Amino acid sequence: MSPRSTLLAQSARPVYLLLLTAALWILLRGHNEPGGGFIGGLVAVAGSSLLAITLGTHSARRWQPLPPLSLAMLGVGLALASGLVGPVTGLPFLTHVWTDSGLSTVMLFDLGVFCAVWGALTGYVYALLEEG
Amino acid sequence: MSGAHEHPAGPTWLWLAAIPLVLFLLLAWGLVRQPLPWQFDAAWIPSLSVSLAFRIDGLSALMLALVTGIGTWVFVYASGYLAHEPRRGRLFAVLLLFMLAMVGAVSADNVIVLFLFWELTSLTSFLLVGFQHRRSHARSAARQALLITMGGGLALLGGLTLLAQITGSWTLSGIVAAAPAHLADARLPYALLLVLLGAFTKSAQFPFHFWLPNAMSAPTPVSAYLHSATMVKLGIYLMARLDAAFNDLLLWEATLVATGTVTAVWAGVLALRERDLKRILARSTVSALGTLTLLVGLPNPGAGLAVVTFLFAHALYKAPLFMVAGNIDHATGTRIIDHLMGLRRAMPWTAAVAVLAGLSMAGLPLSFGFVAKDVMSAAKAEAEVLALVSYATVFVNAISVAVAGVAAVRVFWGPPETARGPVHEVSWRMLLPPLAIVLLGMEFDFVPTADPLLLAAARVIAPGLGAADLSASYGLDVLLSATGLTVLVGLAFFLSWDRLHQRLQAMHWLDRYGPAATYELLLRGLALLAARQTRLLQHGRLTGYLRLALAALLGMGAFAWMNSDTRLSLSWTWPPQAWAWLVAGVLIVAGAGAALRLRDRLAVLMASGLVGYGSAALFLFAGAPDLAFTQFAVETVLVVVAASVLPHYGTGQARAVPWHAGDLLLAAAAGLGTFLLLAHLDGLPPDTRLADWFGANSLPAAHGRNVVNVIIVDFRALDTLGEIAVVAFSLLAALPLLAGLKRGTPT
Repeated sequence: MSPRSTLLAQSARPVYLLLLTAALWILLRGHNEPGGGFIGGLVAVAGSSLLAITLGTHSARRWQPLPPLSLAMLGVGLALASGLVGPVTGLPFLTHVWTDSGLSTVMLFDLGVFCAVWGALTGYVYALLEEG
Repeated sequence: MSGAHEHPAGPTWLWLAAIPLVLFLLLAWGLVRQPLPWQFDAAWIPSLSVSLAFRIDGLSALMLALVTGIGTWVFVYASGYLAHEPRRGRLFAVLLLFMLAMVGAVSADNVIVLFLFWELTSLTSFLLVGFQHRRSHARSAARQALLITMGGGLALLGGLTLLAQITGSWTLSGIVAAAPAHLADARLPYALLLVLLGAFTKSAQFPFHFWLPNAMSAPTPVSAYLHSATMVKLGIYLMARLDAAFNDLLLWEATLVATGTVTAVWAGVLALRERDLKRILARSTVSALGTLTLLVGLPNPGAGLAVVTFLFAHALYKAPLFMVAGNIDHATGTRIIDHLMGLRRAMPWTAAVAVLAGLSMAGLPLSFGFVAKDVMSAAKAEAEVLALVSYATVFVNAISVAVAGVAAVRVFWGPPETARGPVHEVSWRMLLPPLAIVLLGMEFDFVPTADPLLLAAARVIAPGLGAADLSASYGLDVLLSATGLTVLVGLAFFLSWDRLHQRLQAMHWLDRYGPAATYELLLRGLALLAARQTRLLQHGRLTGYLRLALAALLGMGAFAWMNSDTRLSLSWTWPPQAWAWLVAGVLIVAGAGAALRLRDRLAVLMASGLVGYGSAALFLFAGAPDLAFTQFAVETVLVVVAASVLPHYGTGQARAVPWHAGDLLLAAAAGLGTFLLLAHLDGLPPDTRLADWFGANSLPAAHGRNVVNVIIVDFRALDTLGEIAVVAFSLLAALPLLAGLKRGTPT
């Protein structure tokens, strides 16, 4: 890696956390305002990429809850699982279900999209950066 | 080989045997309590007539008993056989998946569900045959098994769909019930031939027989389970299930009898060419499968009984014999019969199993194989088969006797081979399973009888079957007619095995021509074709790709335009906030123009990023904030990551690309074409039905005000699921490629 700017290196982690918070916020507001799992996931990817470029992929991996591939697969699994709630209650696959308090399988599905995008794209980014 | 056993850390997975055991006990309990058939039906994809319809009758119950019963012992055996295999967890997982697929395949009534489980068994078989994936012959054997059985599976799908369209029923039971009214349908022969293609590939019938011996690269528990007792019987099972409807057709009868006979005889001849005990057994399995196909093809009710008895007997002697071969391999390190002698002293229990199983295979008294042989000869006498088929049967049975002799007598008797050092008997987990299975195949008084189940299964194939006696009768005439001749001929084969082997081995033309060689030829041709078209289309020059894509797009657009009577209706209205559109347009044009002129790679990247940002700005003002948002994020990540990866490839100047008049013309035509298309679309009256529906239903039906997000996660959730699955799995495929780049060996 080329010599890094101290300022960038010092601010990378706070900015990463900020971006991650923003990503989660975008994910959660997505159902009613512009946002959602895809965009939130991309913002999280931007955060992870920042960490990976400034501090190396090693720290970026450490600050992610799961290894990229596992995260991506978890995302697909979550989306799949959210769709299976319908058939259990006698509805077709991927029919979403809401509770009275406003919780729904839609959130689970969108969280799955978020994780799939975050995991898969960071997987590509790390692999490309580690290649040199 | 034996000696100090170092068990690698980790579970032995013995407890997994409880899963098939519980299924088996449930089945047994159900058979006692509940009269057959059992039915279950749940909607799945009603619009395509696909429902989760399951129906268990006598034939299904027999198959289920084999799958779960033998499965239980195979799991016990595997836990002993694979005690030294560090990757055994993977094998057990796939084995379990296979068992469940098998359970689904033999109980499915809906043809699509049957097809899905059928292909799942092929897929798991592929993984199990290729388990030793570092050996190239295991890989090619796995690929061969997959290509042949899955190719046949596709034919099966076509055949079953055609059958469903002819009869109007999507269930096997419905097809069998409705078939008599449609026997004159002109499409029926094609449907049946396609179904038979699927069944023949699965059950290794000539000319698709060669994959089964090669599949012996799989670990022995797999060979005993998939490639002798269960999966390869799936084709027989399907033919037997459809037999009640079609056995009056000459096409059906002739195809089955001819293919079965040829397979049985040819596999018997090829068995004599083998020296590897496991491959000898595999050849004789193919021979037995041929006999079963022949029996299914016979039109009389007794043949139905013969099918199920022989199928049952074969599973009960062949699975233990494979385990015997596995035990010998485990203890001595070889399966080549020339190096194996006198093992009875060192491995008395294995020898005992081999003798009992050999007894049944040779069709000698005391064994269930004797009963099966009796029923089979009665069926053939009743059907008045051609003399040629009768001679073939004698030959095939004699080969069985000889193979039984090789597996049970030759390797265990005689002076022990001393060159190898001490040989020890294997552990109880590898002895108890074959012993238990082989004892079930004996006509001992303490063994519980399976006769009611066999009769119930036979009545599915031959509804006209009356009461039948399945106990052994030891009249002198029976002994002489059914057994005497074949045992004598078999004995002759056994004694002259080595001489016959040398003769056959010298016939090299058998290797050069024939189905297996044809398969290799086709495979090489396919690879050649792929290489040619890859060189033509995937040459790696980006300009070439662009040229081809743009030219194709233009060509198709022009073709569509000329063949329609639409008139170009250009309209020009200034959108609200037109200045913003103009600014975005200027950004895009500036970025594209700069990317053309600049030579520094980093600068080109930045300039092309400008195109992306310009498009995002355009989306923002065109009322698509979600799209703009996404475009901004994608563009940022792409530019930043690409910029930090670029230095690895050298920061040098990009090579100057000379201008080609042709390219310039193509680019201009593509640009103009796109412009005209968009301008035309803008002039058309907009069809807003979909947008209106989504807009009206987003909040009341899906509780969301952001229509775009509601479409993504709810209305079109299945599409999204597919998309994220593609994204995630693409990483799985890309990681090894990127790692290859890292090592500098692009593969």
